[in-house]
Parts: sequence; C-alpha cells; structure tokens
Amino acid sequence: MSDAAAICIENATKVYPTPFRRRVIVALRDLNLQIAPGEVYGLLGPNGSGKSTTLKIILGLITPTRGKVTIFGKNNSSVAIRREIGFLPENAYFHKFLTAAETLRFHARLSGLAARAMTKRIDTLLTTVGLAHARDARLSTYSKGMLQRIGLAQALIHDPKILVLDEPTAGVDPAGSRDIQNLIAALKNRGITVLLSSHLLTQVEEVCDRIGILHRGRLLREGRLESLLGVENQTELVLENASPQLLNELEGQIVSANARLIGRRKSQTSLERFYLKVTESTTE
Amino acid sequence: MNASLRRIRAIASTTLLELTRLRVFYVLILFALVLIISSTFLARISFQQEFQVTKDISLGAINFFLSLLAIVATAQLLPRDMEDRVVYSVLAKPVSRFDYVIGKFFGVIALLIISLVAMSLLCFIVLHFRAEAALHDANQQMSQLASPQLSSGGQAIHGAGLNSDLVVALSLILAKCVILAAVTLCISAFATSTIFTISAMAMVYLVGNLEGVVRDYWLQEHPAGWLARAFLAFVAFVFPDLQAFDISDLVTSGISTTGPFLAKLLGLAAIYAVSYLLLAIAIFYQREL
Repeated sequence: MSDAAAICIENATKVYPTPFRRRVIVALRDLNLQIAPGEVYGLLGPNGSGKSTTLKIILGLITPTRGKVTIFGKNNSSVAIRREIGFLPENAYFHKFLTAAETLRFHARLSGLAARAMTKRIDTLLTTVGLAHARDARLSTYSKGMLQRIGLAQALIHDPKILVLDEPTAGVDPAGSRDIQNLIAALKNRGITVLLSSHLLTQVEEVCDRIGILHRGRLLREGRLESLLGVENQTELVLENASPQLLNELEGQIVSANARLIGRRKSQTSLERFYLKVTESTTE
Repeated sequence: MNASLRRIRAIASTTLLELTRLRVFYVLILFALVLIISSTFLARISFQQEFQVTKDISLGAINFFLSLLAIVATAQLLPRDMEDRVVYSVLAKPVSRFDYVIGKFFGVIALLIISLVAMSLLCFIVLHFRAEAALHDANQQMSQLASPQLSSGGQAIHGAGLNSDLVVALSLILAKCVILAAVTLCISAFATSTIFTISAMAMVYLVGNLEGVVRDYWLQEHPAGWLARAFLAFVAFVFPDLQAFDISDLVTSGISTTGPFLAKLLGLAAIYAVSYLLLAIAIFYQREL
C-alpha cells in the first residue's frame, strides 16, 4: 500500500447532461493527477473550474463519466477505502441541533470508532481545533469560523491517512486561518497526505508542496511550487545588518560583473503577519 | 455489533433527534391530542354511542396526523441534508448509501412509533375513564339487579371501550404510515425540492385512498379482462391501496377482525414498504451529489 500513490486520478472526465437540451456541460476533461503519500497538494482555480467536481470524484460522491480513481492503489468506489480519508466540505453546516461533542460522537460512530477510544479522541480534537470551551454549545450558535473548525475535527476523527479540504479557511478570521495552516503543517509532519482546494493563493503558497491549476475543467499547470514560481535568471539576496558602504560595494561588483541590479528595497513583513502581531499583542 | 448496523443505528438516532426538534412534530401531536380529548365533550345517548364517537374521532385524528407526520417528516430528510451539506461529510465516511437511506428510514419509523404510542395512550386513558364513568352510572341506575347481571353489564361496557380490535386498528395505521414514509423517501431520493415531494405524496395519498372504491366499482360494473386486471394491479402497486389499512369503521361498529385478515394486511404493508425502500436505495445510489 505504501508504494502506491495516496491519490491517483487517471483520465477522469465528468460530463453533465443538461435536461431538455442537446448540449452538455463538461466539468472535467481528462484529468491526470498523482499525489504521493505525505504530500500537501493545492488545487487552484476560479469558480466553476472543476475543483469541487475533482474532490467529489475522489470521494466517490459522484462517478466520473470516464477514467478511474485509486486511493493507495485501491478503487475509490469501495466504502472501506473511505476509512483512509477525512473530508471537510466547503461551507459545511452539519446538524445544527447537535453540540460540538455530539457532532464528533456521531461522526466517530459512522467511522466505526470503538466507544472507549471515542471520548478521548473527541477531547483531543476539540482541544486541537480550539473548541474545548464550546464543546456543549449547539452548532446553531457557532460562528462560521467555529463551524470550519468543527468540520476539520470531524474530518480528523478517525485519524485518516488522507485529508481532503475544500476551502478550509473560508469565512475564518486571519488568526483562525493561521491556526488551520499550522494544523495542516503539523499533519504533514505526521505523514498525512493533504489535498487542499482554495482561492487563497498566499495560503496555498505557504503550506503546499505541489499545486495544480484547473481552468474550465482542464489541468493547465502542475508541479512543485519552487519550480513553478522560480524565475530562472534571477536571484534574491536578503541581508541583515548590512551597512550602506557594504551595499554600495556590492552594487559596484554587480555592475563590474555585467549583472543587472533590478531593485533595492527594505524587506517587508506580510500584512497577515503584521495583523497577527498587532492582534496577538493586544490580546496579551 | 456489525459495523454497518452501528452506522445505521447512529444515523437513525440522529434522524430521530433531528425530527423531534421540528416544531411541526409538536404542533401535529398537539392537534391530535386536542381532537382526542375534545371527543369526550360531545353529547351522546348511550355508552355504546359514546365509545363509538370517541373511537371514531380518536382513530381519525391519529390516522390523519400520523400520515401527515410520515409524509412531512420524511420529505425533509434528504433535501435538508443536501442543503446543509451534511450528506457530504456523512458519505465521505465509510458509510454506504444503503446504510444512509435505511438509517434515515428507521429514524422516521421510530418517530412514528413514539407519536403513535403517545396518541394511543391518551385515547386509551380517555376510553378507560369514560368506561369507568359509564360503569358508575350503570351501577347507580341498575342497583336493584342481581350481581351476575351487573357483572355482565360491566363486561359489556369494558368490551365496548378498550378492546383488542382498537389495537389492531392502530397497528394498521402504523403499517400504512410506514408505507407512506417509504414512498416519500423514494420520491425524495430523486426530487429536487421538499415541495415537489410533498405535492407528489398528496397525490399518492389521494389516489391511494380512492383507488379501492373505484376498483371495486369498476370490477362490479364491468367484468374486466386480464389486461384491465393487470392495469389495476399495476396502479395498486404504484399507488398503495391505503384505504385497505383503514378498519376504523369495523372497530367503531364493533365488528371483530380475524388473525389471517390482520396477517394479510401486515404482509401487504411489508411488501409495499420493502419494495419502495429498495427502490429509494437504488435511486439514491444513482444520484450525483
């Protein structure tokens, strides 16, 4: 099992017929995708590009018109293979009449967790996603960010080897979004494969090893981030405590070596990091 | 316990909890209870008539409200789970669509049983107190009679009130509602809205309650050939003959039912329910989520 790709999609095409019309909607065209075990893969694309269709095909929620999907070398149509997968749907609401603990208990029972292990697992996950304080509150009282967190917890309840996340930080504030990013990084360190669909390019850039860009059902580009984003003939140097004299000398050497200095500016932090620093210091 | 059974039980218990949180559930139960209690305030001449009216109103109320509950509660289940995307997180777990549909169905059946028990208990309590009151009146009026005559009079009063035929009628109401829930689930497995499912079920309910009368009249007036009989059988399968399960007229008239009669109707209900449930599962397997 460990030799096979965590997720392998071969020539997947999904065509939706439109009722009472001759034309059809092609949601996905000949998609080929391989995600290795332990990899974090980002699926990017505008609305209607086929991201959700791809995720649903992987999960067996819809059947591809052509092509096949395997999970660790096994056909994804088997119900048993879903023990290996955890899924967070986009804008998930869950049963609003249940509390957080009841929701996780329900999903634990669906996943076949033993009753003895259940309580401990629920407590651990509620702490991990930062909802231990709201464990007995009904989900109808939860904010969107809290719902995303409980969604993440239910996806992890059975300790899956693959985690499929559809817009995991939609509606979550920057601090919550950062927590989710950190959690994805921690899961990666534990060897869990993550497939992430998102519109937030910065987030994808920070957590993903590889990305694929879907547009109108076609995979336009795919590869490792550094190879896709790196500019072949340019190099960046980031210096700390460099004196103006040293910088002038460096510029002179650059010119004499027939290279071109494109820009010189002070390093900046990202807006997200600045925001988190400000809000965290206020909270303290 | 088998893993699949555990999953079905988890889905059924959550479905039951979901349904008991619906306001419509309490409104329907309350209406039924009010109707049953109100039957005791109607004027009547004899204790036989008194029991007849109470049973008639109680069975009618239970029949109507339980049928309504079976349709309205079931019609919401699948569309609501799809709207809230609960279905995605559930079916992304090692849960087959069979487990999911069966779990939902059993959740509704549990709700129907709880509602039937609540309404029946009230009906039994009302009948019991009316029987005691009738017995008290009879004892006062016929105090000069010998004790064997009084005893047989008492038995007659109790027999006219609470009896096994009432329980048979209630069981058949439940059987009918189980069929309605299965048909509703079948329609909602392909329907795109709750309104469509409820509208379609209103038609099924209407046809199901009238087809028996129309069929009997047709066969009486025009001796039918095999083609007409086959057509009528087809209609009877597509639209379950709901009137066949309504024996309230027999019960209120004091006509006893037999064991084979009950077994035949329960068997028919089981065939209808299982057929529609299997059809619902097959349709839901094909549905793109």
